[in-house]
Amino acid sequence: MILTGTEIEKEVNNGNILLKPFSQTQLNPNSYNYRLGNKLKKFVKFENGTSVFETVTIDESGFLLEPNQMYLANTKEIIGSSKYAMSLIGKSSLGRLGLFLQVSANLGHTTSKHKWTLELVACMPIKIYPEMQIGQVSFWTNEGEIEPYSGKYSNISEPQESI
Amino acid sequence: MILTGNKIKEEVKEKRINISPFDEKRVTTNSYDLCLAPKILRYTSPILDPKIKQPFEEIEIPKKGLQMNAGEFRLAASIEIVGSNHFVPIIHAKSSLARMGLFVHCTADLVDIGSLGNLTFQLFATLPIILYPEMLIGQVSFWVPLGDTTLYKGKYQNSSGPQPSKSWMEYPE
Repeated sequence: MILTGTEIEKEVNNGNILLKPFSQTQLNPNSYNYRLGNKLKKFVKFENGTSVFETVTIDESGFLLEPNQMYLANTKEIIGSSKYAMSLIGKSSLGRLGLFLQVSANLGHTTSKHKWTLELVACMPIKIYPEMQIGQVSFWTNEGEIEPYSGKYSNISEPQESI
Repeated sequence: MILTGNKIKEEVKEKRINISPFDEKRVTTNSYDLCLAPKILRYTSPILDPKIKQPFEEIEIPKKGLQMNAGEFRLAASIEIVGSNHFVPIIHAKSSLARMGLFVHCTADLVDIGSLGNLTFQLFATLPIILYPEMLIGQVSFWVPLGDTTLYKGKYQNSSGPQPSKSWMEYPE
């Protein structure tokens, strides 16, 4: 089952969902809007079988994303839950401007808690701004016993390339 | 929990799901197939800025079809009005069109409970593809919510036809 906005808020207060910082104004009927952090990794070159990225600060005047490449960014919020599974997706206002927030990897494992890495792909050139509400996360009930997530990305809060 | 096709039929009869027009033939095992409305939108500015209202042009898809080229982005809509105050709709592509490289949304698949209107598709072609008016373009599934519901009252309520982004409304002057 997918949690309603009211239930998300209740579970934040109960400590079963971590959204930090939390603001009621970012609650939707069945999800929570996350904000964009202020750092981004831009692809530079492919060398010795590895993608090399440079870190860029997204300043107040905005950063222009070009089509046909992928940028790594992160959420401003720490997002996690020891009780629910998560789905990190885009939001319709940005989807309608052709911005992908991830590359078909929406699933957030129960017990992971960190600032999520976003994989930004733009269909058309688009400007993005630091701390803009850029996507949303939904929370889903589990069935079965939970094996805590101990993956290599579980505690990383910077935009993180593949390791 | 996701509703089965049989449950979707039942909930449409009970008026707890709104799909209009509704055709039982479009019910699948776990979803309902949606048709493409003939009018699509194309943004006309070279750079999109979420803080500014973006200009666009309307294009009518002719009966003989309209080609989208790889890398092109268009907004389209479902012919159907879709919404529910009891279940959460999620939009998906049809696998037959996905196999031709067509995205129908840009990671924005989740519909708010309580929203009602034509669904806007965010079409992104990764290969050339021909669009036809009223073709089957996507599907919608329905999911059971947990918790008290606060119904959607947002800026896309009662959408008719494809709706361009209203993100600029989130940035007061």
